Amino acid sequence: MTIQGVIAANRFGLGAKPGDVAKISGDPKTWLLAQLTAERDLPAPLRSLPSTVDDMSAFFKWVRQIAVEAKSHGMDPYHLKPQGAPAAGMGGMAGGAMTGGASGSDTGFSIEREYVKAFLPRYAVAVKARFDTAVATNRPFFERLVHFWTNHFVVSGAKPGAITMPPSFERDVIRPNVTGRFIDMLMASSKHPAMLFYLDNFHSIGPNSKVGKDPSLRAPKQQQDFAIPQVVGLNENLAREIMELQTLGVRSGYTQTDVTNFARVITGWTIAAPPRVPPLKLMLEGRLNAKGLFEFDDEEHEPGPQTIMGKVYAQTGVDQGEAVLQDLARHPKTAQFISTKLARHFIADDPPPGLVERMANVFLASDGDLAKVCAELVNSAEAFDTDARKFKTPEEYVISAARALPALQVDPGSLLRAYGSMGQTPYNPPGPNGWPDVEAEWLGADAVWKRFEWANQAAQTVASATMNPEQLAQDVLGPSLSKSTEQAITRAESPAQGLTLLLASAEFQRR
Amino acid sequence: MVSRRNALGLIGAGFAVGAVNLPRIAFAAADTNKRLVVILLRGAMDGLSAVPAYGDPDYDSARAGLSLPTPGQSGGVLKLDAMFALHPNLGGMKALYDSGELVVVHAAATPYRDRSHFDGQNLLENGSEQPYGLGTGWLNRALAQMPGSGKPLGVALNSHMPLMMRGSAPVTSWAPSLMAPPDGDTVQRLAALYGETDPVLARNFANAQGANSVAMGSGGGAGGYQAFAGLMSAAAKFLTAPDGERIAMVEIGGWDTHVNQAGAFSPLSTNLLTLDRGLAALKTGLGPVWKDTAVLIVSEFGRTVAMNGTQGTDHGTAGAVFAAGGAIKGGRVIAKWPGLKPADLYQARDLMPTTDFRTIATGVLRDHMGLQGAQLAAVFPSAAPIKQFDGLIRA
Repeated sequence: MTIQGVIAANRFGLGAKPGDVAKISGDPKTWLLAQLTAERDLPAPLRSLPSTVDDMSAFFKWVRQIAVEAKSHGMDPYHLKPQGAPAAGMGGMAGGAMTGGASGSDTGFSIEREYVKAFLPRYAVAVKARFDTAVATNRPFFERLVHFWTNHFVVSGAKPGAITMPPSFERDVIRPNVTGRFIDMLMASSKHPAMLFYLDNFHSIGPNSKVGKDPSLRAPKQQQDFAIPQVVGLNENLAREIMELQTLGVRSGYTQTDVTNFARVITGWTIAAPPRVPPLKLMLEGRLNAKGLFEFDDEEHEPGPQTIMGKVYAQTGVDQGEAVLQDLARHPKTAQFISTKLARHFIADDPPPGLVERMANVFLASDGDLAKVCAELVNSAEAFDTDARKFKTPEEYVISAARALPALQVDPGSLLRAYGSMGQTPYNPPGPNGWPDVEAEWLGADAVWKRFEWANQAAQTVASATMNPEQLAQDVLGPSLSKSTEQAITRAESPAQGLTLLLASAEFQRR
Repeated sequence: MVSRRNALGLIGAGFAVGAVNLPRIAFAAADTNKRLVVILLRGAMDGLSAVPAYGDPDYDSARAGLSLPTPGQSGGVLKLDAMFALHPNLGGMKALYDSGELVVVHAAATPYRDRSHFDGQNLLENGSEQPYGLGTGWLNRALAQMPGSGKPLGVALNSHMPLMMRGSAPVTSWAPSLMAPPDGDTVQRLAALYGETDPVLARNFANAQGANSVAMGSGGGAGGYQAFAGLMSAAAKFLTAPDGERIAMVEIGGWDTHVNQAGAFSPLSTNLLTLDRGLAALKTGLGPVWKDTAVLIVSEFGRTVAMNGTQGTDHGTAGAVFAAGGAIKGGRVIAKWPGLKPADLYQARDLMPTTDFRTIATGVLRDHMGLQGAQLAAVFPSAAPIKQFDGLIRA
């Protein structure tokens, strides 16, 4: 076993399964590089997840039902009283609901409770599928890249209406592209209905478009169609976040005018619906068409050329926005931004500037070939620096513990409780910037304690008299195991205590 | 060299195991009896919804589609004075205003003038004049100015450690747990192991034990707005414990209301209610300590004055800031009102900032927490001196 093998398994993978370090120690670099290829088959746990159409429809079907039910309880569903407020996403519900704790003090009807009842099981299945995939995989570097990019092109269920959408977004947009070209992932993301919904673009309408000039052209709204915006106009949310969070990065030289003009360019990028019917109406009615979820709606598109960062885009259709995305994807600031984020994720909170520079050069020279950018990272001297400078995120921590302990049974409820109490609920980051990726954010008093509590609980469930935690420590941590930790494990009063100390040790929490 | 802080932390770790239920008398208390709570509203609260300027002759036209019924009408806003009112869901805060314990500051902003949430929050939290201008938080630097024993005087009610609380001053964090506590022997062994292998883990582990002994039995279980109220109750426990923390930070997200802001499923009215209930829970939990407490409520920036194309508002500039608490000389709105005519707006779209949030924060830090000249400059370093706002605190 070599330290390079341990580093490959932890820094670039999701922690070692027993036997992994010994297996990959001979040539860890080749082991990593071999994972920079497209996935042949979707991993088994993901195959039974609902379709995108189902994801897009489920929430709104529920909204319709709940409105009827709320009325029957004497509530006005269109002017909800506070006690009927929907939860702010599954992050808030992973706690109480799973233990059967009431989210309200009374036992009567509450929309918040109904929301939890309707969506928690579905959310739990998706999170468990993501977990099972990560625990089982023999391509953990690839899987880390999936998690990285899902945290870059963010669709978050923290927005209640988007609660069902992130898993199919990850499957359709992220998985196929993590070792492909950046432009392909950006284009797929910008046209995916989940992103168009999450960042509001699907109902952003050009003020001078046909529909913008005459809103009455839209199918007459139903009485109390509360979820459907009743005015038509521009919403700059997606345009801004593409520039700020997904391509150039903030403070890279674009202006408010560039953002607004880009928002105009992508008006009409929407979810497919019959002419002049708001897509939300279809969603509410469960009538989304399985085919062609993305649509360019000419009647909602702001006509005319637009100038973005000094360049005039005179195209008249969907190609106008595609041309902007093409330029954004190839911009040197984008190369710099993506390379910095990758290096920060894998190497250090303050990534070595030389490494970032080399990765950015590869990004530009290869036209954003992400496999090549990652290969540059793996081949760098910094990649195998023996100083473990990253602190695992809660999700990485839990996954790596489960990989080290094949006997650990994790049911969806306990998984959500673990993630919830450690402050990282997969698919539900608080905002479109995703989860933080620096130690200062994750390593506070409460975080350290919650990991310890979870480690202790996990150890109790798998430990047996015949288990040898010391051997396991050597197996999964190899030469990175310190004398102190080894000794503490050896001297533990029980296998469970030894296992707890292994999982809570600094070596196990850093990578 | 082992710093004083680490040494104390390690002693605390070994000692707290058996002493969880003992009064924490081993360390000297902070020099001040004053408490400060900062509530960070992440996502940019719409200040004109929280505090509508219903008396501005341009309010209805500028806010077409978003303006709320006037005071006295059904669902009407809660009148503060002839110009300003509170959102109908801020009834508890209206009561604080009436009892002279709430100041509303309008058209306020940090020095940040662009429209990125994350840069805006970073600047608000780091307290400099640039996003990423400093790697530590202003609230931590305020703590660093306060004499103490090495025991944390600040607590983040959070499973993350927010930037505002990060820095050299020891701070702890706490959030409810649903897991069973490990046994004391394992705690002790792990504390010893961290002591040998990892000072950062060791320090935080020790702080967590201290926090658990204070907050035991708090929060947990509740979702939605009750979760926030639970955190506020837990904050009160920390602030009222013997030898407890003096500064607490709590955050609440979900204010980025691009769509259907006034609609029924809008998170905005829920969020405002959550905030209102949370503040009430804090007051209840603090009991008599409320009179020594100041609460600052702030968001990274405001939102556009006009409704956008989807019945919401986009990222803006100035908004509303609140100062509440028994220590606050309240019952008034502080606003150099810029007006709502198109020509009055910042870049023709946002409420024009006329009050720097830092004047409010430093006014409270000076008159409430006792920080002076150079100390205040360390908390909020700035190119030009910041004029502290006078008279926010009761004599």
